[in-house]
Amino acid sequence: MTISPSERAKTAVLLRRDSEKIAGSLPPLLAEAERLAFTVAMGVHGRKRAGIGENFWQYRRAMPGDVQTAVDWRRSGRSDEMYIREMEWEAAQTVSIWADDAAAMDYKGPKAPRTKRDRAVLLALALSVLLVKAGERVALLGTNAAQPRTGENQLQRMAMALAEENPDRLDYGVPPMARYAVSGRAVFLSDFMGARDDVFPALTHAADRNVAGCFVQIVDDTEEVFPFDGRTIFQSVGGTVEFETQRAKALREAYQERLAERREALEVMARRTGWRCLVHRTSESPRKALLWLYMAIGGLK
Amino acid sequence: MLTVGPIAFLAPLLLVTLAILPVLWWLLRAVPPAPAKRAFPGVRLLLGLLDPERMPEKTPWWLLLLRMVALAAAILAFANPILNPETQSRGTGPLVVLMDGGWASAPRWAARQARVEDVLDQAARAGRPTALVSLSAGVPAGEGLPFRDAQDWMTRVTGLQPEAWAPDRAAFGEWLDAADVDGFETIWLTDGLESEGDTAFLAALQAKGSVTVIRDDADPMALTAPRFEDGAVRAEILRQNGTIRPSVRVAALGPDPNGIERVLGETRVIFEGEGTATYVVLDLPIELRNRVTRLVLPEHRSAGGVVLTDDGLKRRKVGILAGGTEEETTRLVSPLFYISKALETSADLIEAPLTDIISAAPDVIVLADIGTFAEPEREALETWVDSGGLLIRFAGPRLARSGEGQLEEDPLLPVRLRAGGRAVGGTMSWGAPKQLRAFPEASPFFGLRLPDDVSVSSQVMAQPDPNLPERVIAALEDGTPLVTGRAEGDGRVVLFHVTANADWSNLPLSGLFVEMLERLAVSTRARVPDAEALEGQTWVPVSVLDGFGALQEPSLLAGVEGARLAEARPGPDMPPGIYEAGEQRYALNLYRTGDSIAPLGDLPLGVTVEEMGVVAETVLKPWLLAAALMILLVDIIATLWLGGRLTGPRVVKGGTIALLALGLGVLGAPSAEAQEGDDAAVLYGTSETVLAYVETGDAEVDAISRAGLSGLSRVLTRRTAIEPAEPVAVNLENDEIAFYPFLYWPISERQAVPSDAAYGRLNAYLRSGGMILFDTKDANLGGRLGAGTPNGRMLQRLAAKLDVPPLEPAPDDHVLTRTFYLLQDFPGRFAGREIWVEAMPDIEEVEGMPFRNLNDGVTPVIIGANDWAGAWAEDARGNPMLPVGRGTGGARQREMAYRFGVNLIMHVMTGNYKSDQVHVPALLERLGN
Repeated sequence: MTISPSERAKTAVLLRRDSEKIAGSLPPLLAEAERLAFTVAMGVHGRKRAGIGENFWQYRRAMPGDVQTAVDWRRSGRSDEMYIREMEWEAAQTVSIWADDAAAMDYKGPKAPRTKRDRAVLLALALSVLLVKAGERVALLGTNAAQPRTGENQLQRMAMALAEENPDRLDYGVPPMARYAVSGRAVFLSDFMGARDDVFPALTHAADRNVAGCFVQIVDDTEEVFPFDGRTIFQSVGGTVEFETQRAKALREAYQERLAERREALEVMARRTGWRCLVHRTSESPRKALLWLYMAIGGLK
Repeated sequence: MLTVGPIAFLAPLLLVTLAILPVLWWLLRAVPPAPAKRAFPGVRLLLGLLDPERMPEKTPWWLLLLRMVALAAAILAFANPILNPETQSRGTGPLVVLMDGGWASAPRWAARQARVEDVLDQAARAGRPTALVSLSAGVPAGEGLPFRDAQDWMTRVTGLQPEAWAPDRAAFGEWLDAADVDGFETIWLTDGLESEGDTAFLAALQAKGSVTVIRDDADPMALTAPRFEDGAVRAEILRQNGTIRPSVRVAALGPDPNGIERVLGETRVIFEGEGTATYVVLDLPIELRNRVTRLVLPEHRSAGGVVLTDDGLKRRKVGILAGGTEEETTRLVSPLFYISKALETSADLIEAPLTDIISAAPDVIVLADIGTFAEPEREALETWVDSGGLLIRFAGPRLARSGEGQLEEDPLLPVRLRAGGRAVGGTMSWGAPKQLRAFPEASPFFGLRLPDDVSVSSQVMAQPDPNLPERVIAALEDGTPLVTGRAEGDGRVVLFHVTANADWSNLPLSGLFVEMLERLAVSTRARVPDAEALEGQTWVPVSVLDGFGALQEPSLLAGVEGARLAEARPGPDMPPGIYEAGEQRYALNLYRTGDSIAPLGDLPLGVTVEEMGVVAETVLKPWLLAAALMILLVDIIATLWLGGRLTGPRVVKGGTIALLALGLGVLGAPSAEAQEGDDAAVLYGTSETVLAYVETGDAEVDAISRAGLSGLSRVLTRRTAIEPAEPVAVNLENDEIAFYPFLYWPISERQAVPSDAAYGRLNAYLRSGGMILFDTKDANLGGRLGAGTPNGRMLQRLAAKLDVPPLEPAPDDHVLTRTFYLLQDFPGRFAGREIWVEAMPDIEEVEGMPFRNLNDGVTPVIIGANDWAGAWAEDARGNPMLPVGRGTGGARQREMAYRFGVNLIMHVMTGNYKSDQVHVPALLERLGN
């Protein structure tokens, strides 16, 4: 099935509207930006540190070694000491977002409102809206919006990219081994249900690039509860993996144990690399996850 | 029809389907259903897991067997199996089924019906034209026998009833001889009693074709008409054969003084040896005997086991008359006092002028000390005696003075009298008062015990003459006649030579007097009316017996000529029962004294005899189907169990609930919870002082009642020593009210009138010191209480069954006005003045103070219309719930309402304590002195 460009544009507009709707209820990311610490590029974010910037930070006494041009004479004239006027260090940040577009993300349980993919896309875009409003640069990994940019255009591009249907996608998503901006941020939205050997190296790759970030594991309720019974053949959404059981109910506990194991592994890895983890269920409100992301991106070291 | 052993299949073709059972076996063994396919992203996590339990792939053999059995049972059921099928087939051609259908068939009527149905069923299967004839119903109308399809008759068998008389076989035999009927086969269900013309009857039947007699081994019993002999009711019990059998119960039934039919007397009778008749004697007190309407054999329900009584057992009419009734004597010396005392229990007394008495047609006339009669009176009296009346006369000064019967024999006196009398044992005479001599054997008094203390001091003397000795029925010890009697026409004249009061002797004071009168009265029992007595009148049946011996209203019955009633036996147009002509009643009974019943004689050759008992065909279909269903139920449970679904939290919970529900339903036991609830209520009611109100079922009213009593309880706690707990609602039907000192009963139109049991409790409550405050809550708009308003009318309905004493409007000085507060009136939400309390018996003035001489009781009810609960009602925060009046006046009225409540509860709790306070000054004064 092909989707006509006009429909795609329409989907993109709707997607955008939804995203802005949930982003609109949050204060601009700017308010939180003061808590950001480091940056590599000049931006509009105060880093609560003295550095290169435009806003006044503090006066401090001149120390031996300070260049004379740095002395603020107006302040120094009022006392015997020499004072140096320091400005606040400001930085713009690059946030790379990966929204898993694998077939497994298209799953939707019988009672769930939307698929996992829908939720991932929504969160990605909403976060982007916030970031762009705050003047950050965002990139959508694995798409043609992978180049970090800021501004409305980037949002448009991202929305188009997210609405795009990828014909040859995988059954389970693997984070792309992208080139990350140094000391950037990364947000991975996926169910992380793929084979361990595929998923984890990609995650460590990001950490290796000195990129801090968040894993958001988006799951459907049925994936947690496993409400199945009877003789069943389970297939992956793409149909590549198959498993047959005589009594599905009997496997529930083993399955839940394995799910917990997988999460534990994610957590452990996140702890080691300084990332953070969130399990988000599609039955929950997306706002919760967005807020968490908003706090997490702002609060990462 | 396929017969296998004792079982026959009506639809044997269906049995072929049993062949498919093996196929089903193979099918049911098949593997479990195909798996479901699901897309599930988490499948990767599942990889490598092993199934801890596996679904059974094959059904266990025993479950299969269970299902096979269920299926087989169903197939067999639909093949219509019959156990003990009736296979004997009789001949062909027309069939006549004869039933005796008389009273003797009644005891085992159902069995007879079943047998007839059985016979008809077979006839229907064979397609034979059939006629069903009851020999008791008279000969068939029309020319021939009513031949029809047997199926037609089947529908009528259940409606057949036995008749109350014996079958008339001879008449049927004669009719058959005369009728133009082709040959037929006969099946005769006989009751086993002989009757006249049996031989001819059987001969007539045999002339038409083969005869089968179905005999019954039941032993019918009959009673003969009761009569009085020696002061007891006597009847005969008849039976047909002389085998030994247990005793027979005989009961005498009749109305009790309230008109309700009861067993008045009962006895058991044993047939001695092999006799076919025995006497039953019921010795009943005369009051009971007078009421007996029939004798029955309760264990043998048939018309033969019931005999009716008529006038013979009715109370006799006795006219009594004394001379000199104008005298101002006190009652104890009235000449009639002892006579009426002696007779009033057993007879209807008529006290009137003589002509009136005679025109009332009494059985007995008692004349105490009457000397002379006017000529018309004498004539009427003589005619009455001639036609069978019993005249009992007592002597006395007036009779002695009158000279009646002294010169010539008077038809109204049994003997000639000598002028004057004699007095013995008086102050002016020699000798001691005379005692009685033992009664001679010919005397009606023979056998009566003579008390020692009966003595005679004065009497009139009989003129000795040749006839005198045979006329003496009681004499003194010196031989002088005391009671003489003589037959006069159909009647009898008896003279007591003493007075009817204690003037001349103390005979009237003794029990002997009563017994003597009774004997005399009994000896005048109405004769068994003979044909002559009955003739010339048309007797109309008033109630007749049915075959089972129950009395019925007669329907479609004409009156019967008297002569026939006396001679003929009961039949279709003259069933046994009570017949009436004018004032007289006549009981027509099946058997008279001296009758007997006998078993059916030897049957002629060629007659087949069968017994009644049949092994009934049993249709097995319903049982098999039920069994199949039960097995399927077991299968369901077993399948669930195999699938592990009988355990697990949800199932266990549901199962427990279902089991509990089932258990409760089966046991029907009062649930333990209710019991506990009751106990808690009892504990609460008894351990606290609790005000209670009656639940009306009207939620609004109940809520106000509760809030009102809560408010009042709070006020009481605040102001007085009474500290009631939270009020309780009382359901009159279920709750015990004895624990609550006070019940507030708001009247609501919507409440139901309590049951009788509830009224019982309420009355007990009122009697044992409880108080109910009725509140119609309508400000008494209808004027007088309980008149105008719907609530008032409801109150009347509710209180109709209550044991409420006389009421009066509360007087100004009622104790309610001063038990705590001094009050002038008793307002609630409405300020109506009038409330009603128990009427005070009387008022005494004690030292200038009005003093109510009351018992310690509190007035059990107070009735008013002021909606007190509405005024008392407070919500949880203590704010009034309903408005009272306006402004400060309203507040004052509410306060007054509370004060009334306080006074009321004080009154309930302290009784008349405050009422007694009026004595305090007097007591103190006395103490001071």
